[in-house]
Amino acid sequence: MNRTETIQGILPRSLWESDRLLTWITMGLLLSVLVFFLLYPVYDICKLSFFKGETFTLRNYADYFTNPRIFRSLTNSLYVSLVTTLITTVLAFFFAYGLTRTTIPMKGLFYTISTFPLIAPSIIQGLALILLFGRNGLITRYFLQTNWNIYGATGIVVAECLYCFPNALFILVTTLSAVDTRLDEAAQSLGASWFRTFYKVTLPSAKYGIASAAALVFNLTITDFGIPVVIGGHYSVLATEIYQQVIGMQRFDLGATISVILLIPSVGAFLLNYYLTKKSYSLISGQARPFLQPSRPLKKWGFTIYCWIPCLFILVVFASVFLASFVKNWPYDFSLTLKHFDFPSLGGYGPLWTAFWSSVLSGFWQSLIAYKFAPIWNSLWVAILVALGGATLTLLAAYIIEKKRPVGGQVLYTLSVLPAAIPGTVLGLGYILAFNKPYFFFYGTFWIIIINIIVANFTLGVLASIANLKQIDRSIEEAAVSLGANPITTFLRVVFPLSRTAFFSNVSFFFMRAMTTISAVIFLISAKVKLAAIEIIFLDIDGRTASANAMCTIIIVIVVAMLLVMRFITGKSGLKGMSPST
Amino acid sequence: MGRNLKLENLTKRFGSLTAVDHVNLEIEEGEFICFLGPSGCGKTTVLRMITGFETITEGKVIFDGKVINDLIPQKREFGIVFQSYALFPNMTVEENIAFGLRVRKMSKQAIAERVDQMLDLIGLRDWRKLYPAQLSGGQQQRVALVRALAPDPQVLLLDEPLSALDAKIRVRLRAEVKRLQQELRKTMIYVTHDQEEALSIADRVVVMEKGQFRQVGRPIEIYKHPVCSFVADFVGTSNFFKGVQSGNRVRVGKRTFRIAREENVTEKGVSLAIRPEKIEVFKAGDPLGGVEASNLVSGRIEVVIFLGAAVRLVVNVDGEEVISDVIEKTFEQRQLRAGQDVLLYFPPEAFLVYPLDEASS
Repeated sequence: MNRTETIQGILPRSLWESDRLLTWITMGLLLSVLVFFLLYPVYDICKLSFFKGETFTLRNYADYFTNPRIFRSLTNSLYVSLVTTLITTVLAFFFAYGLTRTTIPMKGLFYTISTFPLIAPSIIQGLALILLFGRNGLITRYFLQTNWNIYGATGIVVAECLYCFPNALFILVTTLSAVDTRLDEAAQSLGASWFRTFYKVTLPSAKYGIASAAALVFNLTITDFGIPVVIGGHYSVLATEIYQQVIGMQRFDLGATISVILLIPSVGAFLLNYYLTKKSYSLISGQARPFLQPSRPLKKWGFTIYCWIPCLFILVVFASVFLASFVKNWPYDFSLTLKHFDFPSLGGYGPLWTAFWSSVLSGFWQSLIAYKFAPIWNSLWVAILVALGGATLTLLAAYIIEKKRPVGGQVLYTLSVLPAAIPGTVLGLGYILAFNKPYFFFYGTFWIIIINIIVANFTLGVLASIANLKQIDRSIEEAAVSLGANPITTFLRVVFPLSRTAFFSNVSFFFMRAMTTISAVIFLISAKVKLAAIEIIFLDIDGRTASANAMCTIIIVIVVAMLLVMRFITGKSGLKGMSPST
Repeated sequence: MGRNLKLENLTKRFGSLTAVDHVNLEIEEGEFICFLGPSGCGKTTVLRMITGFETITEGKVIFDGKVINDLIPQKREFGIVFQSYALFPNMTVEENIAFGLRVRKMSKQAIAERVDQMLDLIGLRDWRKLYPAQLSGGQQQRVALVRALAPDPQVLLLDEPLSALDAKIRVRLRAEVKRLQQELRKTMIYVTHDQEEALSIADRVVVMEKGQFRQVGRPIEIYKHPVCSFVADFVGTSNFFKGVQSGNRVRVGKRTFRIAREENVTEKGVSLAIRPEKIEVFKAGDPLGGVEASNLVSGRIEVVIFLGAAVRLVVNVDGEEVISDVIEKTFEQRQLRAGQDVLLYFPPEAFLVYPLDEASS
């Protein structure tokens, strides 16, 4: 081939007309973002854990494994994660079975209620359990007058079960509704009992889905920070231990070491989940499924009651946190008040917001709105930027991976999918190690938080966009190009309108994550840079539990408002098929 | 001389697979060319190299005297019609047609005029505000056709445009494409695996097999004088007999047929082909005027397939199936029925002779 001729051809009259050049530039940008804000921090953590100065050492690991108090965090983590995985998977499986294989009433309601945990920070489960079963719990103190309380492993497990429930449920509902029910019917027509059919046909055909849900729950639990920090008490797990070592003791080396230890089960669970999901999808037949036969009364009522149990739990969680933010002194004085919304923290500051309100208001209202509500404002605008930025970047990445398929596209795919494997706390610590240097001007600002949230949640955004883009026929783009449209026009006028639904559902997803995420961001906030979800933790640690509940309520209200707006814009719920990673 | 499109030694390799193998062709401006071949023969790849969506491994695509190998697709000014229609589902019929005009930054008025003109061309003025999903397949493809024509492309490329449609509409649209081509005098390159479609609309047909051009010619030449047994088999229907030729005789099994051509004296293996409509069918006792006795064989009608104007007979000759088409009138006159014993006559001049080594059937 004539080289010079080819090179001349690549360079078109205008830069923007060259498809390949644009693809390379965009891919280069995305890759550098992911390398710089994902790989580099993780690399720094590994380096710190294995090197003292310039010399390689296993000293940190020796320290970790020989200190029983710290070492316990590993066994604790594994214990709560395994127990949570087992309980959640079983609970969610039968719930999913009820929704897909029986003719129980109110399926839509059950499904909707079960997605509630996604719209709140994971802490809400912890806060609610404390309200009900804590030292001053409504049930433990008020009704039973017992000294038993739920702090510790029990609390973590119960709270994590509630938090992980919708995530496991999504996978299991997909699996069970995809598996051909005619197999069940065939088995039953051959005279197999319900139990035998279930055990011999239903369960094996859903095995990959079940295992994939279990792996996801394990990953979510072992990497979660919010729940153990509020309800764990002295029960330390890996994610909280990292924070303790780093922020409490300034032991960055031990924090990094624990991070590497945490990476092993979390990456393992992630890879397992990823592999099993692929396997599970390959089993989906795509065949038309015949009408479900009406379930017998016993089965119908059994499953209806069964489905109400987790739903009631979830409703009670939300109701208690809502209620506790409006009553004077839970559980003793239930008269209504708004005083918990007068947050005790002082040092809040929000760009534009504080300047504007302090010039408009004065006195009590000035301090309340301009300063105390500043973290909420910060969370809101950070969430809006994360939503738009995240949805755009993941759509672009998915577009390049799925449609352009350039050399190196596989690398972009791997890096895009990787963030779900990295626990938030690990990434947060990595950011401190990597970017806490004077020349990284963005460190200590909101920008690093925005980037962190986008990168940490990249996986689901990209996977959702890829799934959507797969449905767009290649010829449609080629038609636009052959009619003379340049790559940018093609993308904006044809590809984007066709992937709008996925884009908006990613906007919702990133917004929710930005409003509710805690684990990574807690390392990145500072006195000037505060966020609402993080304030919940600090309020709780300060013993201002009621205000923590109030802050949680505000976050939920904002997320629900945004979901309603998105629903209005797209005519669709933004929650379907969403499952966040930590 | 007009703006010709020339393919020079055009080659495409995917790894070790050669999809298109050194093909050459010159297409005149205003000509209607059909690429015809079975699936996987490389015809779509040739088209995609012409459009610029596929890179060229070797050789050149030359348009209007200039090598356009590396010209990006949107600069080629070639319209494309896709098998899947590829209408933009988020735009109305009108917006779809206007797309290529807007991209060229034409004035609003000019766009409106051109869109009207295009809609008139296919008689679909009333549908301008509808979305593609509201149209039938045939309607969608007509919109796709004028959408590609709207920016007045130099060449229109059609990639199996009708194969997703049902038979009736396919035939109607085929006629419409032909009419448009004749009205607009636009160079069109049409890819299809349907030989009837190719023969009925093209000025010239290119028959492809295994990445190579087997024959290029007018439809009638292709049909009457297929240059190889692949073309004889793929275009229309042929009966094949393997035999050994010496002079103007070919020995097939225990029979010897006389053929009209005589070029080689030495004995060699050949494949004899004959079109079903060239075979004459007689019943025992029918007068056989002046036939070559050696080319007369006896058989029994096994199946009778009514095709409309013609009737296809599947005749068992010594355990082999021979297909013969007779016109409906002859069929009635001679009272041919399944199960009957008949005499088949292969006129010597109707035999096509191909060397055996390249016979793919």
